[in-house]
Amino acid sequence: MNVRVMTAAARSAMSVPDAASARAHIAVRGLSVDFTVEGRRQRVLNDIDIAVPKGSFVSLIGPSGCGKSTLLKVMAGLVSPTEGTVTVAGVSPHEAVKARLIGLVFQEATLLPWKNALENAAFLLMTADETVKRADAFERAAAMLKLVDLDGAEKKRPNQLSGGMRQRVAIARALALDPEVLLMDEPFGALDAITREEMSECLLDIWERTHKTIVLVTHSIDEAVFLSREVHVMGTGPARIIETLPITLPHPRTDESYSAPGFAAAEGRLRSLLIESHKKGRR
Amino acid sequence: MTDATFDAPAVTAGATLGKGLRSLMPALLLALGLIVFWELVIRLFNVPTFVLPAPSAIFTALVKHWKPLLIAAKATSLEVLFGFVLSAIVGILVALVIVRFERFGRALYPLIVLFQNVPKVALAPIFILWFGYDLAPKILLIVVIAFFPVAIDMLAGLQSVEPSFVSLMRSVGASKGKIMLRVRIPHSLPHLMAGLKVAITFSVIGAIVGEFAGANQGLGYVIQFASTQLDTPLIFAALIVVSVLGLAFYYVVELAEYLLVPWAPKFDPIHSAG
Repeated sequence: MNVRVMTAAARSAMSVPDAASARAHIAVRGLSVDFTVEGRRQRVLNDIDIAVPKGSFVSLIGPSGCGKSTLLKVMAGLVSPTEGTVTVAGVSPHEAVKARLIGLVFQEATLLPWKNALENAAFLLMTADETVKRADAFERAAAMLKLVDLDGAEKKRPNQLSGGMRQRVAIARALALDPEVLLMDEPFGALDAITREEMSECLLDIWERTHKTIVLVTHSIDEAVFLSREVHVMGTGPARIIETLPITLPHPRTDESYSAPGFAAAEGRLRSLLIESHKKGRR
Repeated sequence: MTDATFDAPAVTAGATLGKGLRSLMPALLLALGLIVFWELVIRLFNVPTFVLPAPSAIFTALVKHWKPLLIAAKATSLEVLFGFVLSAIVGILVALVIVRFERFGRALYPLIVLFQNVPKVALAPIFILWFGYDLAPKILLIVVIAFFPVAIDMLAGLQSVEPSFVSLMRSVGASKGKIMLRVRIPHSLPHLMAGLKVAITFSVIGAIVGEFAGANQGLGYVIQFASTQLDTPLIFAALIVVSVLGLAFYYVVELAEYLLVPWAPKFDPIHSAG
């Protein structure tokens, strides 16, 4: 595991990007993405610049169709940029995928129904690394299940788990890869309000313990403020970043953070930005 | 950790069997009622046996001819078994080829659908012409009838994998082949089993049709032979054996599904409609 991390670090040392993005763990520069839908070229992302510092927690928020999921997919190497560059730990997303630097979590837990929680949590690690021993993969997966408070549920199949628990398995599966970067696309979007808050706390706890660089795509203003150090607000037509808002709430954040004075202010600012971008999008 | 846990009810095999038998009771009672009614109608209106035999006459024929019926059942079973297994293999291969070699698949798929519109019964004489009266023409007929549901259901299963599964696999650099092997194929198994259940019933039909077209053994042959002798009770007796055989084959496939893909969604034809 450590060997891989070192090669990644060595790689990032070898490339010579400019000073600002050298410090950034994920650097997006002048990124534009065009999709061809039914023969028509469409710009889904326009001239995006983002620098995510190492170990930071950053949220992307914006109206539906603003391309925030596409931006995440570009970072994950699933969509290629039309213009501009994206680097993760100093290398292209494609190389980052090969070096297993990226962990992904989606809105749907996407667990394999024929495998139990433990096997699901170990599944991607065993897919990514053919040489890893089964026992080692399971040991690592079990440790990650413990980290997401799922110890004791290892033998349960996905249909025996609640929505929140399934999403915890999905997070454990991503963490089992020991990625440097965790990319999450509305991971709590399908959960009820109380479970969402629980999961937010669980995620914050994981971030504080592991210091992964996390990029979260979300619809929820609450979630963005509670979790992030920085929120990028995106607008439509064509999709771009309209403002980057630092969240200065102190860490560690707890239940009480919701009622901290800075919280309401940040929430209000985000809300007005989103309403504004919504109006523009309709025009 | 306050998430609710949904434990699946612990059901033992024995309890399932008992419950199954109890749920069969209404069907058995209805069948019994119909048989009694049939017997009464035949006796009251003096219907000649060669037109429609009474259940008692059919039962007598069944007992009297048990040995030739058993031999015929064995011959037919062999055809069904070989035909079904080959149908499954062909169906699975067709689905895999269509998904794996997309361009070729786009060319192949319409041809297969077109071929489905050929009345397969009409092919039986041609197969007899080519391969004689042995096992081969029957197996071939079964395959052309029964591979289609296997191929179509397997194809649907392979293609119904959520895109996020594929993204997830790609995010760790998994190749197309690996995604196929680790996600698509296992995901398609419940669909495949549904296709196999259709295929096994088609296989029994195929075997009987093949025997009608030309055979010197098997239950289809017995039915044809009995009809030339106006031995209607024997026709019905053979029909009963065919039905029981078909049912037995069907439940073997269902058992295989239960053992191989326990995660498959359970199908309840009556309650799912409500």
